[in-house]
Amino acid sequence: MLGPMAGARARQVDWLLVGSALALALLGSLLVWSATRPRLVESGGDPRAFLVRHLMNLAIGLVLGTVAAVVNYRTLRTSAPVVYVASCLGLVTVLLIGSTINGSHSWIVLGGGFQVQPSEFAKVGLVVTVAMLFAERRERDDTRRERDVPLLLALAAVPAGLIMLQPDIGTIMVLAFTLLSVLAVAGVSWRWLVGLVLLGVVVVFAAVHLGVLKEYQLDRFRAFANPQADTQGVGYNTNQARIAIGEGGLTGTGLFHGTQTNGRFVPEQQTDFVFTVAGEELGFVGAGGIILLFGILLWRTLRIAGRSPDLFGRLLAVGIAAWFCFQMFVNIGMTLGITPVTGLPLPFVSYGGSSMFANCIAIGLLINVHRRTASSSSPLVA
Amino acid sequence: MNDSSIRIFAFRVLVISMVVTLGARLYYLQVLGREKVVQTATRQHVREVVVPAPRGAIVDDRGRPLVRNRPSLVVTVDRGELRSQDDGGRAVLARLAAVVKIPAGRIAKMITPCARGVPRPCWRGSPYQPVPVVTDTTPDRVLRIAERAEDYPGVRAQVETLREYPHVGLAAHTLGYTGPITQEELDNAAAAGRDTYHHDDMVGRSGLERQYDDALRGRDGVRRVLVDNRGTVTGFDSETPPTPGDTLVTSFDVDLQALAEKALAEQVAAMRAQFDGKTGRNFAAPSGALVVLDPNTGRVLALASFPTYDPTLFVGGISATELEALTDPQAGVPLVSRAVAGQFAPGSTFKLVSTSADVTAGLGSLAGRYACPPSLAVGNQVKTNYDSESLAGTIDFRTALAFSCDTFFYQFAMNAWYADQARVDAGRRPAEVQQAMARAYGFGNEPGIDLPEGEQTGGRIIDRAYLQRRWEQNRPQYCADGRRGYPEVADAARRAFLTQLARENCSDGWRFRIGEAADMAIGQGETTVSPLQLALAYSALVNGGRLYRPTIARAIVGPDGRVREVTPTVARTVPVAPGLLRYIRESLVFGRGISVSGQTAFEGFPLDRYPVGGKTGTAEVFGKQDTSWFASWAPAGRPKYVVVGMIEQAGLGSRAAAPMVRKVYEGLFGIGRPPVYPGARRPTAVPGVSPATPAAPPPVAKLQPDTPARPAGASREVTRREVARRRARSRARPRGAAP
Repeated sequence: MLGPMAGARARQVDWLLVGSALALALLGSLLVWSATRPRLVESGGDPRAFLVRHLMNLAIGLVLGTVAAVVNYRTLRTSAPVVYVASCLGLVTVLLIGSTINGSHSWIVLGGGFQVQPSEFAKVGLVVTVAMLFAERRERDDTRRERDVPLLLALAAVPAGLIMLQPDIGTIMVLAFTLLSVLAVAGVSWRWLVGLVLLGVVVVFAAVHLGVLKEYQLDRFRAFANPQADTQGVGYNTNQARIAIGEGGLTGTGLFHGTQTNGRFVPEQQTDFVFTVAGEELGFVGAGGIILLFGILLWRTLRIAGRSPDLFGRLLAVGIAAWFCFQMFVNIGMTLGITPVTGLPLPFVSYGGSSMFANCIAIGLLINVHRRTASSSSPLVA
Repeated sequence: MNDSSIRIFAFRVLVISMVVTLGARLYYLQVLGREKVVQTATRQHVREVVVPAPRGAIVDDRGRPLVRNRPSLVVTVDRGELRSQDDGGRAVLARLAAVVKIPAGRIAKMITPCARGVPRPCWRGSPYQPVPVVTDTTPDRVLRIAERAEDYPGVRAQVETLREYPHVGLAAHTLGYTGPITQEELDNAAAAGRDTYHHDDMVGRSGLERQYDDALRGRDGVRRVLVDNRGTVTGFDSETPPTPGDTLVTSFDVDLQALAEKALAEQVAAMRAQFDGKTGRNFAAPSGALVVLDPNTGRVLALASFPTYDPTLFVGGISATELEALTDPQAGVPLVSRAVAGQFAPGSTFKLVSTSADVTAGLGSLAGRYACPPSLAVGNQVKTNYDSESLAGTIDFRTALAFSCDTFFYQFAMNAWYADQARVDAGRRPAEVQQAMARAYGFGNEPGIDLPEGEQTGGRIIDRAYLQRRWEQNRPQYCADGRRGYPEVADAARRAFLTQLARENCSDGWRFRIGEAADMAIGQGETTVSPLQLALAYSALVNGGRLYRPTIARAIVGPDGRVREVTPTVARTVPVAPGLLRYIRESLVFGRGISVSGQTAFEGFPLDRYPVGGKTGTAEVFGKQDTSWFASWAPAGRPKYVVVGMIEQAGLGSRAAAPMVRKVYEGLFGIGRPPVYPGARRPTAVPGVSPATPAAPPPVAKLQPDTPARPAGASREVTRREVARRRARSRARPRGAAP
């Protein structure tokens, strides 16, 4: 029996949002288990090692998320600069002492098998910072928002530049999409938006032609453009992923029974290509289920955005929605052959501590916004 | 709707469209586009492992196996894999040598494909097939290899199915043997669009094994295993189980065949111990044959040939030395079946043809009486009766057949020759009634028994056209030999004879001389037949003129128990009046008061109960002792069996061949020895047989390692790609001479 206070507190939590995130994380733990089991068995290790760690990450994430959810809304807004500076410091640290994995200098190895990926936290940092900045400016005076855009771009350029040095194109893309989405919802004029998109195109074009991108990054795009060109080389990942997806059919081969998964044909399967495990072993039902869960998660996030009584909450929610949505789209899209291969994890599902922590914190922030909405009696949007 | 709402709505639409895009794309790939992608997946990661079909057994008329399978522990070496190692596999061979107790150098020779200049022992099979180095090795040796597989790359220890002969050596010539498929055969099969062969298959090489290979071999199964990108087997996909080979039921009988072979071997031994007064030395008796037929159906009941061999030699690969021994003329070429592929002058047994021809052509009459002088001038030669015997006055055909008077038959042959000469001189075609009748009885043509091409002979019947053809082909050689004069022949008389013969052949080799016509009448000269052909001709004599295309196979029984009967067909009907056939039969039946040649061999035989009819033959062969023949049937009233016996260089038909044939009849009728058939009654129904089963599980529990590295002990791994690669390799470099 819940007391009236407990009931009120429970109503302050969007259980559908939390539920869908939890479901994704738990589903992810099974997929990670399946993806890592054969290798662990062969090397004589505990076949559940990755499962246990994934669940541990989730547990830590729940704690972080709870903290993010219960922290005072005001405190949250005012702590944005701290978050921003902290995430930038993390990115500097990784450049100084980080380790290179798969061509990216993105990890700080802590020892004991733990490593931190500061760029994941930078996503949280950027979202909070941008939301706070816009909201503060907006609420203090009623100037045109365009004026804030250069400042915002400058603020975003610092972590983006640091990430570019790693380099981690995927995260840059997430940040760019998130920033653009927040700007769009914040009411920046269409001209600015179109201009920024064009700028992005020019930057990408220049990067390709001025040799800023590494050869392997270009290869990934070439493989995307022509997946059958080199199925043993750069196109190998995508091709194997597509085969795994195709293998699944409607209901899949059953957990632990995927031939692609058991045969370890798909590299990075517990992280970036975790969706292929779902595709092969759970089939359209399971993989579609994951997309559906993301749909629910995004719906609830946007609902929170729409109902937020203040601009900070709304922009925070939109930013998080843009981040999750883009990352989901690119991650799943690359296994389906509709987006190029980039090293982006599937939120909640992929194995990886930093990503899980950042995602949980984001959910916590959303709950925080929701709590404020629920306690105020005048939702803006139904 | 204000600006803010529009913007958030637009963002919502964007998010929804992204989610929907993913969902739609997933649906397209997984649900709609499934076929295409699965195929790609299958092609890449499923390896096909050939599961060999157990070869069908060959059984006798009572279902008792003549050949069956047995599992054997075999160690094979893949030469290609050895050569790809840094030291060319030297280290592996050294380790293997220590285990199997064969010097490494010898193993290296054993696995080298045979070609010109390659020292023996060498490998006669496909150069890309793992070569069996040791068969029937011990489980502990196999274990030593299987447990440390990483120390023996290219070496496999596995269970293979080998042919086993429960009655070692029995019917060896007829059963034949199997051997590894050659690259050429594989290529031919591939070119013909047949995918039923794999590169380490065993195929029937001779005899029934070859003739019925398609039925016996079954269809290999395919086990599709899943492999990861490093080739490690990770799982099992599906399996098309092998279809075991059909069981070949023959009309042979283990007991009858054993009796025939024993009688033949004993008689050969006995003749070798006998002194031949004619040549002043013991009989050489180098070879012999026994044929038992059912004259009413054309089924072959037994085929014995001496010398014989042990087909087990071929199991698991025959060594070159062993094969040489089997084809060595000094040893009598044991590999050739004298019963089916041997050609010998038939001697007086051929008087069946002469009598049929003479009477049918009107040269002589059954009512007529003709002279039987001790000798007769034939052309510029004088030909005598055997031992210059003669009968006073005139005799009829019956007596001439029974007494086997040669001069009697010469007269008709000479008359026929003169008549033909007159026709030729008048520009007409010769009648050649002797040859026509010989062909009608099946001589000069392969009998069409169900044995492979090249393993049966049609014998030789010469006529004018044949001689003309031969002369045109060989004339340069004859003339050269005549001029050269055989300086390499030491014996002066023989040298003179050969030189004279060559000169005559050079100028007149095309002529069909009167002497040759006379020789043919008594089954000598150039006339040769196989014992099987003679048995078929005598079957026609006793069955009313039907000349069968004989079969050894009785039925082919599928693994599902379905029976396909094999029935001999009638090749032709002999154009001889039934009355004449009856006359000849009656003339040759023993124990009816008149003396018939060969009857002495049947003294004490209950001819009253089991009347036997038969004709002896004692064929004179230039430079050799006489060939002994006996062609017979029994019971004379309603013949159930035709038995033909032959021993080369063993003298009189009545002394060598007939006693041997008598033993066969004793067995068939159960006279003085247990009958070969239960109750002396030959079974007529197809016996029930059980289908071939795969090789029994290996007698070693741990033969299959726990690691999934090797799919199965008894399976042979062949990937399509591998075969293609091997083919490509074989094209890329010159191939050794075909074995």
